[in-house]
Amino acid sequence: MDFELTDDQKKLKESFASMCAKEIAPRAEFIDREAVFPKESIRLLGKAGFLGMGFPEEYGGSPGDPIIKAVLGEELAKACASTYLSAGASAGLFSIPVLKFGTQDQKKKYLPDVLSGEKIGALAITEPGAGSDVLGMKTHAGKKGKSWVINGSKTFITNGPVADYYVVVAYTDKEKKRDGISLLIVEKGTKGFSTGKPFDKLGVRGSPTSDLFFDECEVPEENLLGEINNGFFELAQTLTNGRIGMAVYSLGIAQACLEESMNYAQERTAFGKKLAYFQDIHFKIADMKMYIDVGRELIYKAAWMLSQDDPQTILFASIAKLFISEHATEIASDAVQIFGGYGFMKGYKVERLYRDAKLGEIGEGTSEIQRAIITKLVEDQY
Amino acid sequence: MEFSIPKEDLDFKESVYRFGLRDLAPASQKIEYDDNEEFILENWKKMGNFGLLGLPYPEKYGGSGASVLATTLAGEALGYAGVDAGLMLSWGAHMILCGVPIWQLGTEAQKQKYLPKLASGEWIGGLGLTEPNAGSDAAGIQTTAVKKGDRYILNGSKMFITNGPTGNVFVVAAVTDKSKKAFGISAFIVEKGTKGFSHGKKLSKLGVRTSPTSELIFEDCEVPEENLLGDPDFGFANVIKLTLEWERSCLVAPAIGGLELGLKKAIEYAKQRKQFGRPIIKFQAVRHKIADLKMNLEAVRQIVYKVAWLKDKDIPAMMEASAAKLFVSEIMEKMSSEVLQIFGGYGFIKEYLVERGYRDSRLASIGGGTSEIQRGIIARSIMNF
Repeated sequence: MDFELTDDQKKLKESFASMCAKEIAPRAEFIDREAVFPKESIRLLGKAGFLGMGFPEEYGGSPGDPIIKAVLGEELAKACASTYLSAGASAGLFSIPVLKFGTQDQKKKYLPDVLSGEKIGALAITEPGAGSDVLGMKTHAGKKGKSWVINGSKTFITNGPVADYYVVVAYTDKEKKRDGISLLIVEKGTKGFSTGKPFDKLGVRGSPTSDLFFDECEVPEENLLGEINNGFFELAQTLTNGRIGMAVYSLGIAQACLEESMNYAQERTAFGKKLAYFQDIHFKIADMKMYIDVGRELIYKAAWMLSQDDPQTILFASIAKLFISEHATEIASDAVQIFGGYGFMKGYKVERLYRDAKLGEIGEGTSEIQRAIITKLVEDQY
Repeated sequence: MEFSIPKEDLDFKESVYRFGLRDLAPASQKIEYDDNEEFILENWKKMGNFGLLGLPYPEKYGGSGASVLATTLAGEALGYAGVDAGLMLSWGAHMILCGVPIWQLGTEAQKQKYLPKLASGEWIGGLGLTEPNAGSDAAGIQTTAVKKGDRYILNGSKMFITNGPTGNVFVVAAVTDKSKKAFGISAFIVEKGTKGFSHGKKLSKLGVRTSPTSELIFEDCEVPEENLLGDPDFGFANVIKLTLEWERSCLVAPAIGGLELGLKKAIEYAKQRKQFGRPIIKFQAVRHKIADLKMNLEAVRQIVYKVAWLKDKDIPAMMEASAAKLFVSEIMEKMSSEVLQIFGGYGFIKEYLVERGYRDSRLASIGGGTSEIQRGIIARSIMNF
């Protein structure tokens, strides 16, 4: 047992945190207000080696395990949740399936550019009528000569409007349900493929989201990712990464709320005392600290299990995500409360954090879905 | 980072679990003991024989030299085996609150005199700190100790003392220099039968009724000077420092096991109970309560193990211990309520012990420093105000 980060991990965390504070956090307010995609920040994260962590060097990767990814991810999410989300969709949701299931050619073609931040990736599963109920999707890919012809649409796709490459989930044999789903790589500009206009969202407004439309969209047969009709299972193997990633998203937001609240409570005075002096205030802050510390331990545990290929990782990823995402929204609400009127005003960080926090309970499977997963996995353990 | 538990610790946990299930649980699950507010002495003796009453003490004092983690795992195993929370509370007050200060602060003679008796279970120990008018506000302690020749004369009373009616030996805090406030309080070892020392009647409680609680009364109680524990005027501060971190890790460990037992019972019950033509585990409202139980179980486990690990590494863990205690106790209360809810009417009657679990859980956010005190500690450790 060892609950501590190594000295190297601590050093890396510090230097990455200071880069995020200097380069990324200052843009967070602007990209949220104007809904601007932080392309420069993504490039910076590529250069810094963050995007490629855990990927082989030959594809532009750098050393790193799920724990250090969580440690640094928290710092990025704390600085700017939008940047974190888009970086995760590109270097995680898109790149991990390509690494795991891609051919040598596919990996060489897509990964170096995405991991350097020059190109942007996205993963398209959700449809207007099907979210976590993947089998309810309608998008279909039919073989026509040496091509796949895709028809259908996707929605709520992170990086949808700005991505260069997409992993698209489609039925290749609808009759066979879960045994009839495949993954396909679609590039921007492919004939018959278009993206909708960016959605206007409550939070993470700097991370653009849109519909994707496929109208007789033809991709070459070598764009099939992984095995034909095996996409459902390939997807399942990468969901754990995404859940831990989303848990880290909530953790970073919650930690930012805690730090903002601590600073404000020690600066602002009322009735002749620091705000922090009042029990109602410092008890809220104590609860924030407690839930964040517990949530962080759950995330590290899930990340460690992932690094060990532990078959229970899927359970612990759901536990970590459910725990921290629900507490993060409460924590963000308390942070706004501590700031009072200021917390309600645009331009104050906690106002943005409050809006950003909510996605943690929705993205990568809602809290309701996490509970369903947990019970399913635990009900026969006793 | 590395979160696997060493195999020998897991084996130990398993053996304690099997012992608890076979030798302790049958008596522990008789509701009569709870109804009659009776301490299960036969279980206590069995725990002593198994070596569970002096786990962390060195072997030369009759202990097992167990790590904090192993001690925590033993507590968890007993909780999961269904050992009554009252017995586990008495275990903590005895082994941790009384024994640990003697082990850590005592003279060689004190250690040799008391630890073997505590470890075997021949004697029961307790800690006399809280008073009718002073709980976590320890500086408000009014019990005094005045040096007179080769003895100290203690006057005052202690309140809510776990093992009060049954204890043979107590670590007692008393003011020796009022002007120095919290740093003018000494710790004494007081044995049952000492002149001028008595206990009040057993207090009737909401929960943990199998753990006896009473007042301790000191009326010109004469304690030999060799019973001073640790430094004069400073002993108490050291006792507090020592016991609090231990208390907030090992002492809450049985609750982890209790929570897992609640999860197990809830699943078993929900599978066999049928309503509207199907087992209630098929209903989402029940399923999602089960998910929350599992989620919180793993959260509690991880955070308590972390405190145990920090203590084993001798890393100061005051804030972490407070946060763990706060988290565990609040979760216990909420989750025991959810388990009861799944059991419905059957949860409200005594037979299934879910009702007892619900009452027992209520102590956690009061004993060992209320939740409010823990929040204060956490906040003060991260802010200046």
